[in-house]
Amino acid sequence: MTVNLRINLQEKGRIVAIVITLVLFSFLTCYFQFRFGKLPISSLSSLAYLPNSSHPSYLSCFSIILTSAWWKKKRIWFAPAFLTILLILIQLLFVTFAFQRFTDYFFLVMFIFVIVIVAFLGERIEKVKSLSDLNEKLDKEKEKLEDANKELDAFAYSVSHDLRVPLRAIDGFSRILIEDYEDKLDEEGKRLINIVRGNTMKMGQLIDDILQLSRVGRQEMKISEINMEALVKNVFGELKSSIHKNIVLEVKSLPPAYGDRILIKQILINLLSNSIKFTKPGETPVIEVGSENGIDETIYYVRDHGVGFDMKYVNKLFGLFQRLHSQEEFEGTGVGLSIVQRIIRRHGGRVWGEGKVDGGATIYFTLPK
Amino acid sequence: MDLDEIEILLVEDNPTDAELTMRALKKKNLTNNLVWVKDGAEALEFLFATGSYSKRNIEGIPKLILLDLRMPKVDGLEVLQRIKKDERTKKIPVVILTSSKEDKDIVESYELGVNSYVSKPVEFDEFTEAVSTLGLYWMLLNKPPE
Repeated sequence: MTVNLRINLQEKGRIVAIVITLVLFSFLTCYFQFRFGKLPISSLSSLAYLPNSSHPSYLSCFSIILTSAWWKKKRIWFAPAFLTILLILIQLLFVTFAFQRFTDYFFLVMFIFVIVIVAFLGERIEKVKSLSDLNEKLDKEKEKLEDANKELDAFAYSVSHDLRVPLRAIDGFSRILIEDYEDKLDEEGKRLINIVRGNTMKMGQLIDDILQLSRVGRQEMKISEINMEALVKNVFGELKSSIHKNIVLEVKSLPPAYGDRILIKQILINLLSNSIKFTKPGETPVIEVGSENGIDETIYYVRDHGVGFDMKYVNKLFGLFQRLHSQEEFEGTGVGLSIVQRIIRRHGGRVWGEGKVDGGATIYFTLPK
Repeated sequence: MDLDEIEILLVEDNPTDAELTMRALKKKNLTNNLVWVKDGAEALEFLFATGSYSKRNIEGIPKLILLDLRMPKVDGLEVLQRIKKDERTKKIPVVILTSSKEDKDIVESYELGVNSYVSKPVEFDEFTEAVSTLGLYWMLLNKPPE
């Protein structure tokens, strides 16, 4: 009697276990359906990169796993196989153990545990899969970008070559017109031809500046320690030899910079030649170059006492083709400071300017220590 | 003109550039024995006496070649390579005279053994100055091997 009662109790337990398991299983199915839009098994088969992921039965999925070429891809190949086999085993175990006399509750706990792990793993694998999809997309985007860069290179090349040829012809032949037909041209005729030539020169300068800007962007950087004091003096010396202004350079002691020598030199050429350009006769002919210590960067500055600029327009200072002075006042194309900004940004630094009308201008730039 | 006694071979596809170049050289009296060919293919035909120049004596090599880079059919770099590879022509001074200022072109030209690389200035006076200076230098100052 006692034995029978015990069996009855155990059988009740088994029934409860089976009911709970079935309920749990249908909940999990719903969860998978909701989460991935698929049944658990078909969701697993999709994880294995199977061509057809809509197989509802274990068997068909299993056969697909065995016969498909998916494993050749070698990506997380073991996980879906492992999980599928595990699920099949669980079902077999469920059928076998549910009618055994013992370990019902233990089995139930194990079953829940395994299902939770499967769900968890399923999610992880889905994430890994979407990551590898993203990587593939990134690779494709990278290729596209490289192609675009190559096209840009070709464009820059043809600009440098093809646009110069007609410009030279315009300038050359208008000059020949003046030389060979001097006696037939009156003053006004010569003036008009000179306007043509002047504009050709401007366009030539513009082409050169645009090319330089594009070169700054694509040139590879070779980072080294740069003696800034020596470089500033060197650049100023080169610039001064080609101008007829009496300008003094005051260089404070400057810490060395770390960057690409050619590009940093370009910054100094642009900033110092700006300072020289905007210092008119009668203004203090002094250009100061100094530095301040930042937390993890060095702040360098170039200061002049020239015509300066209105802080109202400071946001236009580094804009491409943006100019704060008319062509009659000062010649220029509005590319110089854009180049400076581009170089500084490539070095991970910052650049800004301060100025006052007729009170000089200061351009600051930072370079990492 | 006697095609066997050429002094300067001008390889230039653009007629206006060719005219400007010849005008600059003429001011220094350097155009008496100048031949202008309009692309790389014609330049090679001239130098190796083939095609339309097959009647020319191949021994009569020019004293200077002014070579443009970008040309139809055969471009300047290929012409340069052929000239510098051939025993008969490799001693002729070749000056690249081009609109291109690209580092890539400059480096490649020197790797192929160019004797000089000059980027054509846009401004007329600078252009005339550059062409006549290099003409005088290579034709009068420079001492070629006998």
